Amino acid sequence: MALRPEPPSPVDAPRLLDRLRQELLSAERAAGLVSLSNPPLAIGIAVIDTALGGGLACGALHEIAATRESETAVATGFALALAVRNGRKSRPGCSGSREQISPLPQTVLWIAEDLSLAENGQLYGPGLDQAGIAPEHLITVSAPRARDVLWAMEEALRCRALGVVIGEIRARGIEHVTTRRLSLAAAAGNTLGFLLRTLPDDEPSACATRWMLAAAPSDLPSPRFHDIGPPRWTVHLTRNRRGHSGIWIVEWNSVEQRFELAKNSQPVAATALDRPYRTTAA
Amino acid sequence: MGTGLALAQARAMHPAVIAVPEDQAGDARLLNALADWCQRYTPLVALDPPDGILLDISGCTHLFGNEQKLRHDLLARVTRFGFSARAAIASTIAAAWAAAHFSTVTIIPPGDERELLAPLPLAALRLPQETAAAMARLGLKHVGDIIALPRAPLAARFGIDLLRNFDRAIGCEDEPLSPRLPVAPYIAEKSFHEPIAREEDVLLTIERLAARLKLALVAHGDGARNLELALFRTDGVVKRVTAGTSRPIRDPAAIRALFVERLAALGDAMDPGFGFDLARLSVTRAEPHPEEQIGLGQAEDCAELDRLIDHLSARLGRARVTRLIAHDSHIPELAASALPAQMTATIESGWDAFRRFRTDARLSTRPLRLLAKPEPIVDLLALIPDGPPARFRWRRAWHEVVAAEGPERIEAPWWNEDGSGPVRDYFRVQDKAGLRFWLFRAGLYRDAALAMPRWFLHGFYA
Repeated sequence: MALRPEPPSPVDAPRLLDRLRQELLSAERAAGLVSLSNPPLAIGIAVIDTALGGGLACGALHEIAATRESETAVATGFALALAVRNGRKSRPGCSGSREQISPLPQTVLWIAEDLSLAENGQLYGPGLDQAGIAPEHLITVSAPRARDVLWAMEEALRCRALGVVIGEIRARGIEHVTTRRLSLAAAAGNTLGFLLRTLPDDEPSACATRWMLAAAPSDLPSPRFHDIGPPRWTVHLTRNRRGHSGIWIVEWNSVEQRFELAKNSQPVAATALDRPYRTTAA
Repeated sequence: MGTGLALAQARAMHPAVIAVPEDQAGDARLLNALADWCQRYTPLVALDPPDGILLDISGCTHLFGNEQKLRHDLLARVTRFGFSARAAIASTIAAAWAAAHFSTVTIIPPGDERELLAPLPLAALRLPQETAAAMARLGLKHVGDIIALPRAPLAARFGIDLLRNFDRAIGCEDEPLSPRLPVAPYIAEKSFHEPIAREEDVLLTIERLAARLKLALVAHGDGARNLELALFRTDGVVKRVTAGTSRPIRDPAAIRALFVERLAALGDAMDPGFGFDLARLSVTRAEPHPEEQIGLGQAEDCAELDRLIDHLSARLGRARVTRLIAHDSHIPELAASALPAQMTATIESGWDAFRRFRTDARLSTRPLRLLAKPEPIVDLLALIPDGPPARFRWRRAWHEVVAAEGPERIEAPWWNEDGSGPVRDYFRVQDKAGLRFWLFRAGLYRDAALAMPRWFLHGFYA
């Protein structure tokens, strides 16, 4: 890749970034990191889908982290909501905006280590069902240690019968080699893999995207004691191989099983791409 | 010296006597281990506590040549372990028992039981001590003494057991043998002249045995649901490894793959020592195997998923790979449970019924994750006694409640003697940061004189 010696003009910068991303994508395709047959999973919110380049890449590994241990349930909810969206996507004859409500047609495998189950609780069927996630299509696995979670994830990602594999890990610092192995397994099995972290981690990884999840306060007209409303999350896309990062506040509509941008939410910072290009390089 | 001697007396007779306290549990364990090892001769092994083992060797003798050779082989091996043992073979359990305990005859041909028993003492009929002593006072000392006597007075005088034991010994009445372990419907085994110890050899053996089992399974239209591998170590220890499947299987490669994971999970626990000289693969549970069909998409996916479940279950244990099942209960922790996925492939999961109930009863929102054991909250402030909390401390952090739903009152199962407890008032609360919790207060302030209400955190919402 030949970069020009002088910094590009502010107008060219986004275009240059796009071109570099295209090159990266073709290189990943050649390396078998991106599956070609499976279209990306659309989040259903135009802004986020644009940032992702059409949607979440399928046959790839994504990292979803909670900002704190106590927000693990939020990250779990986001991962499972994505799994529901994926299940609906793969139903034949159900494309377009008029999607009908249906349970997950594909099985979702959820693996967690014992310590995390003790700290953050086990998946609770009635709650899942009310959140629009059909429990009958879920297989839960508890593993004694983090390395068993990673082993089970790799085995499961290679299985073509599964739609989504979610692995919950408490430990920090998963090696780059490990995430790369998992990415390759996901591409081989054409499965969507989520690495669910109970704590954020800055280590480099081979994941296609990295999300940070936090709870967002719901929009309450009166201060106390009434209906709390649908789940609302601050979704922070911190790493993205295909496009820019961003931060959004989204709500999960469990009845129609789709994400919605929260109304009346607190303003969040504009996405990085819209910022003026910095001429003074640090 | 003999049994029943006081220790002091024995020491006086022989100062070098070594005294060891009796360990009945240890003896029972040893007898069990030895009985386990005896499975190499026949699958029908029963215990005869405190010091005997019964083997039903019908149909097994030809594998060792003949009865004499089998007995010789068994005694030679047991002696090599360091035991002194006696063994006898007869067509009835009682006759074999009598011969092993009181006679030097080793093999009693069918029909010769009377001649064998006649000179033996009455204790050979497994009589209680008192009966034998009472008969001895009357001059009845040998089995032969009672053969000619009229039966009715004997039964009236000494109980029916005497005659029944005699009838059982001579084969007039059947005596059931209750084997220690259920007999597997399909068994294949291989013995080695040279013991094997390497894992690859064990796996190769498994595949060969599975290939033999397959023939039998196909012939009966069955498939294996549970398998057991028994490896007999040269020093008498028997290692057993079990593996389960979610659907009946026959394929030797699939069976081998199951045991690869099991052996990997066992690791060092599978100590081969000086090697295994006999391997036995048995199907402990068989089920009809649906005829194989060339499937379209769906069926193949199903099969692949089952394979994955078996694979994970074999490595991690079947209880760790689970499906969620709904139960008909209003107690939150009993409303759903995780059952092994291998068992739940075909059963009704109950979620359809739950959905109907949820809409009919307008069930309030349940959490996404539930703590197995509710965590007590000590520091909690509520504005009114029976109201929702205003702030509470959980895991060292204070949470300011900005919104709350509830209470939802859930009564303890009062109809259940041991299940009754305080009534719970559940609240769904949201703190300032937007985190949502499911809290409950156990007990009412009305009853505070009896027991102060306590708060617990039970679950988390997404």
